[in-house]
Amino acid sequence: MKIAVLVKQVPDSETRIQLSGPAQKLDDSKFTRVLNPYDAYAVEEAVRIKERAPGTEIVAITIGAADRVRETLKKDCLAVGCDRAIVVADPALADADEAGIAVVLAAALRQEACDLILAGKQAIDDDAAQVGVRVAEILGIAHVAVVTKLDLADGALTAQREIEGGVEIVQAKLPALITCQKGLNEPRLPSLPNIMKASAKPMRVVTCAELGVEPPARTYDVKRYAPPPSRAACKVIAGDDPAAAAAELARLLREEAKVI
Amino acid sequence: MPNIAVFIEQRDGQVKKVAWQMISEARRLVDQAGGEVWGVCLHAAPCDAAHQAGAHGAHRLFTAEHELFKLYDSAAWATAVAAFARAKRPDLLMVGATALGKDLAPKLAQKLGAACVSDSIAVKWDGNAWEVRRPIFAGKCYVDVVPRTSPAVVGVRPNAFALSEGRGGAAAAESFDPGVASLTPLARVTEVQAAAGRKVELTEAETIVSGGRGIKGPEHYHLIEELAAVLGAAAGASRAVVDAGWVPHSHQVGQTGKTVSPNLYIACGISGAIQHLAGMSSSKCIVAINKDPNAPIFKVADYGITGDLFAILPLLQREVEKLKS
Repeated sequence: MKIAVLVKQVPDSETRIQLSGPAQKLDDSKFTRVLNPYDAYAVEEAVRIKERAPGTEIVAITIGAADRVRETLKKDCLAVGCDRAIVVADPALADADEAGIAVVLAAALRQEACDLILAGKQAIDDDAAQVGVRVAEILGIAHVAVVTKLDLADGALTAQREIEGGVEIVQAKLPALITCQKGLNEPRLPSLPNIMKASAKPMRVVTCAELGVEPPARTYDVKRYAPPPSRAACKVIAGDDPAAAAAELARLLREEAKVI
Repeated sequence: MPNIAVFIEQRDGQVKKVAWQMISEARRLVDQAGGEVWGVCLHAAPCDAAHQAGAHGAHRLFTAEHELFKLYDSAAWATAVAAFARAKRPDLLMVGATALGKDLAPKLAQKLGAACVSDSIAVKWDGNAWEVRRPIFAGKCYVDVVPRTSPAVVGVRPNAFALSEGRGGAAAAESFDPGVASLTPLARVTEVQAAAGRKVELTEAETIVSGGRGIKGPEHYHLIEELAAVLGAAAGASRAVVDAGWVPHSHQVGQTGKTVSPNLYIACGISGAIQHLAGMSSSKCIVAINKDPNAPIFKVADYGITGDLFAILPLLQREVEKLKS
């Protein structure tokens, strides 16, 4: 069995997003970058499958400048059980949107012929939740998105996918692509010896030309970034007398805010 | 003419409210831009959406009936909506950002070679082009984008658009060929299981009551659920509470949980870590109940009580019951 894990490096969830200058540019120079939290579930799931089925090979694939993604790949992918990594590093991709990223990842995946592709359900920076589904469509394979449970048997999978107020049980034949949701597993942390050993695992850096793919044109333009609207000051009710505070809050919500 | 098609999601004949919200907004847009609003509905049994679609502002309703539309099938549903889009050439294709819609929209966009703008909260027509606003970083920042493709798929967050009603009579209905006759399904939904005890879904709820570390233990989460019940609200939680295993992760609000924008969000015992604020600060009215007057949650709240939630929540519940009776 061969598994690909699609990963992305993102600013961690404690990051404050600031827009600077009159052009309100997104200043990303000071971000602390980590593995996208949902991708960690994908990596962990791949490693657990490998533990049950020895002989499984796991390849982590990402897009980005090699010197920037190297540490994340090493520590969060190779040191926890991925066997090798591929970095598509191409300045032409700096401006790629979800459609473009999907085309490039699909080209990398075609060279690998995997049985199972695992990805996070979305990256917590762009929040687009598109790339995994687009990749499956390009490759003409099944996908199940937002998965909280995955079982493999006899060249097929059964997945539990989160929907409003419940779950859908989905069956598909391999090869297939799964996007992973919190709840699927509990990702392990890399051990120090394994981080040391990860340096010896292969990391291949390729360009679009080497994958035989043209960097695709964008499907939409970014016109501007804007801060979220600022909120009015909080009306604080002292809670010393809980009964009076509860009554006053209920009154304000009904008469002033008109929300109950 | 910039016509807007709106995907009308139904499950067992029940239409998702976001569909009517999108039709309402689409009608406001085409009234400026010219063009028409078209509803698109896939169903397995006859579904009478024409009256409601018309009442919310749709000019026409296009339907396709097939047994593959009983349960969600990504390949079949995307094939059908893509067939509609190729035949009728709408300029925008709005799809609600529900569990189903978030799956359908990118697949559909890929089939059409189209842009997909996920989870949008506003759409503008500037006379020449569409401008679509969406939150990124779970709402810490907004971005305005202009699609280069026609059609462009636009995912729309539930509750982002206001409903309007009484716009007109029934939309003129016609059926279309979904083009799924020879399709071999790739993945098959075999079962839909409802979660026990969950009545209102977080992402669609108009009111949410959320609990944080301040509730002190899973045995107190019923205080959140009981207040939610009298408000007809969904019950949510902070990451701390989910990571501690007090409630399932499907309750989590925040950057690594659900991003929500209800009319009323009541945060109980939630200090307001930045990753939580990101997921709920676009709520229309925010209430914070917290012991610590310096908790960051008060910076985004409209109303706050600094006090003991164990004393306040049951009293608040009683006050709401009084108002509702």
